[in-house]
Amino acid sequence: MDLGTQMTNGSAVKQSRTDYWKRFKKQKVLHLFVGLGMIFLLIFAYSPMFGIVMAFKNYSVSTGIRGIFTSEWVGLKHFDEFVNDYQFGTIVRNTLVLSFLKVIFAFPAPILLAILLNEAKNLRFKRFVQTVSYLPHFISWVVVVGIGFAFLSSDIGLVNKALMSLGWIDKPLDILTNPDHFWGLAVGSAVWKEMGWWTIIFLAAIAGINPSLYEAAQIDGAGRLARIRHITLPGMQGTIIVVLILTIGSILGGGLVGSNFEQAFLLGNSINNPTSEIVQTYAFKVGLRDGRFSYAAAIDLIQSVISVTLIFSSNYIAKRLSGSSLF
Amino acid sequence: MNKFRSKKFLFLSLAVMLVLSLLAACSQNTADPGESKEPGNETSSNSGEEVKELSLFIDAPWYPVKEWKGSVAEKITEKTGIKLKVTVATDDKQLPLMIASGDLPDLVFTNANIDRMSDSKLSYPWNELIEKYAPEFKIDNTRIAIHTMDDGNFYTVRNAFATQEEMAQNKYAIGNDGNPGIAVREDILKELGNPSIQSLDDFTKVLGMVKEKYPDMVPLIMDKDWIEQYFIQQIGVEALMDGWYEQDGEIEYAIKHPKMLDYFKFMNSLYRNGYILAENFAHANDQIDDQYATSGKAFAHSHTVSAADMDNIAVKKNGGAYTFKMLPSALSSDAKSVSTGLGFAGTFITKENQDPEASIKFIEYLASDEGKKLTMFGVEGEHWTWNEEGYPNLNYDPSDSEFVNSNGIKWWYLYNDGITEGMLGYVPGTQKTQALMERKEMTIYKPEIGLIQTQPDSEEKTIKTKIDEMIKNEKVKIYLSKTEEEAIANYENMIKTAESMGLQKLVDWANQTYQKKKDLFK
Repeated sequence: MDLGTQMTNGSAVKQSRTDYWKRFKKQKVLHLFVGLGMIFLLIFAYSPMFGIVMAFKNYSVSTGIRGIFTSEWVGLKHFDEFVNDYQFGTIVRNTLVLSFLKVIFAFPAPILLAILLNEAKNLRFKRFVQTVSYLPHFISWVVVVGIGFAFLSSDIGLVNKALMSLGWIDKPLDILTNPDHFWGLAVGSAVWKEMGWWTIIFLAAIAGINPSLYEAAQIDGAGRLARIRHITLPGMQGTIIVVLILTIGSILGGGLVGSNFEQAFLLGNSINNPTSEIVQTYAFKVGLRDGRFSYAAAIDLIQSVISVTLIFSSNYIAKRLSGSSLF
Repeated sequence: MNKFRSKKFLFLSLAVMLVLSLLAACSQNTADPGESKEPGNETSSNSGEEVKELSLFIDAPWYPVKEWKGSVAEKITEKTGIKLKVTVATDDKQLPLMIASGDLPDLVFTNANIDRMSDSKLSYPWNELIEKYAPEFKIDNTRIAIHTMDDGNFYTVRNAFATQEEMAQNKYAIGNDGNPGIAVREDILKELGNPSIQSLDDFTKVLGMVKEKYPDMVPLIMDKDWIEQYFIQQIGVEALMDGWYEQDGEIEYAIKHPKMLDYFKFMNSLYRNGYILAENFAHANDQIDDQYATSGKAFAHSHTVSAADMDNIAVKKNGGAYTFKMLPSALSSDAKSVSTGLGFAGTFITKENQDPEASIKFIEYLASDEGKKLTMFGVEGEHWTWNEEGYPNLNYDPSDSEFVNSNGIKWWYLYNDGITEGMLGYVPGTQKTQALMERKEMTIYKPEIGLIQTQPDSEEKTIKTKIDEMIKNEKVKIYLSKTEEEAIANYENMIKTAESMGLQKLVDWANQTYQKKKDLFK
């Protein structure tokens, strides 16, 4: 390699570097935004993660933050304790059942509503339904549960009173307290609260479909159902899969509609406890409330591991089956 | 170009605003619990004297007074030159989190975290401060013994405590609201022909009559925190659900008390007969039962000894025409109330305290006779005068919580005792006083059992917490069993589960602790 090529090489590097800076400078506002997001994640999502070591230690709150590092190692003691808890089976079952029920019912609901709304021809009606269905999203769970109590309580609830006075039932329904009703209540109220909100994203997907496809199909004699099946649904596929993967990633928190903890905590009581106690409420009650942070961390870590496994496997399956995936 | 520039400027300023709001949110977050942390803020009072401000954290989300104001607070400031900047907990995890993050105020008033705060890393030992700054501050040996930790120091003294002797000597100290009672509708009783209620059987019979004659009424509504206590005591179980009892010198956990099954059978029969609502066990707050009682939808109301007085005030305010009266405190010859109480809550002078000297002197004043009476009864002359018999003549109704709270009466009892507090309950002629006097008769004092307390982060504490949590769920299953056989089976199952969770280990530990500590009271 002679001197000439070396020099050109050097200047090429320099050149690309200045290019890089030029580009960077050009995009500095955008970078600023990205940077803010990253700082946010760093501070609130990544830096607290070091606390996970607590799960393997005997941490006591009175030792302060430093205690996280100085307390003694106990290995898998806390994991062992949780797995051997007398309620372990019930709690895990409840968490899984509630989560999967939510995926089964709450995931298709907004897709269905979006398709229905798309087919509605009366614009006013469409807007009205959309507004009414997404408003509950903005009510907090505490308030929803309060409303639920006013409607569903077996003694003073509106629904029971109405049904009783109509003579349809002769004993009030114990919707809020019967363990057999909790899952239905939780899934139903979550669908009611979040369906309209998620419909927006699916409506946006539908809006992106080329209208000429519909026209062509119509000319070919496709009916309404056929158009939905062959145009609308395939057109939404990408969005559906991304949302599905996100849903499965957060499945133990309730998926798309979230709120497993809020519901189990607020709607749960000592009567419906056999079906309403889930991993998060248990971690809260037995871990956090008594200052047993190590134990709570261990329980949550188990849950996180399950969640991560679920998101990777669903992503893999989606990639294999449809070609679209999250990463 | 100009347009482009202004757009750029807009973006930049937006970004800056975002950053600022983020930072503001951060600093707000960290400052929140520490908001009360501006100790030593010296401002001058009206009289021109220097008033020192100390921050106080109250570890009780339900605490009725949230600010240092009202005539009692003003008087205390006048006497001590100290005012408090008060923060009341938003939930029961706030203090543990503050401890973990090292964000403690000058003073902490807590009942749930006494053991945790009694730690030389977190608080100043009172004995050291007293020796150094307040040698005149005398605390009796029993109280010191109760609060002395393994390191030989005591870090607080709980209020609301009185020994059996003190109680016996002070006829008018009759106790406080924290005792169970049941109020029943007088008018309905009359319509039923005034059947006498002298036993639990009589009571359930009356509930049956109510159910028959007034099918729309709930025969018995219970406050969510006062479901068990009254009946558990009538049946003669000597401890509450998560407590200890002593028999022949041995300690055993309450659920294993020989009469506990009778109690569960009784509660189950109330449910099976339709006298109580299943939903009662799922009440989310303690107002629901009050609404039932004061809107005329319930016949009997299980709450505290002041149930009748409080309900009557509320009914009258709503324009109702009926009244409640208390059932006798003892409905059976078996009725037993064992007081294992060591008091309620205590004040800690934290290591973050900017002026431990002023703090201990402040507590010394509250502990003086004058201070105790001021906090408990109000301002002398204005709110009460001393009756030579040995109790205060109050010129207000201590059940009128609005008046009491707005004047800050009672709630600044950062140091007090059960005797002074017990006198606040003595208002001749009220139902509460009657109920409390009856209660005092049937109460046995065993504070030595109260000393069996699990230490934070200990194995026993873990076992006990888990067993208690289990009982909380399982007991409702027993109450709501469809048949008595099912109730018995559920009870036995609960005991079995408790044993599998290490109950025996816990009981052994309790016995050891009891043997070690019981002599403190001799």
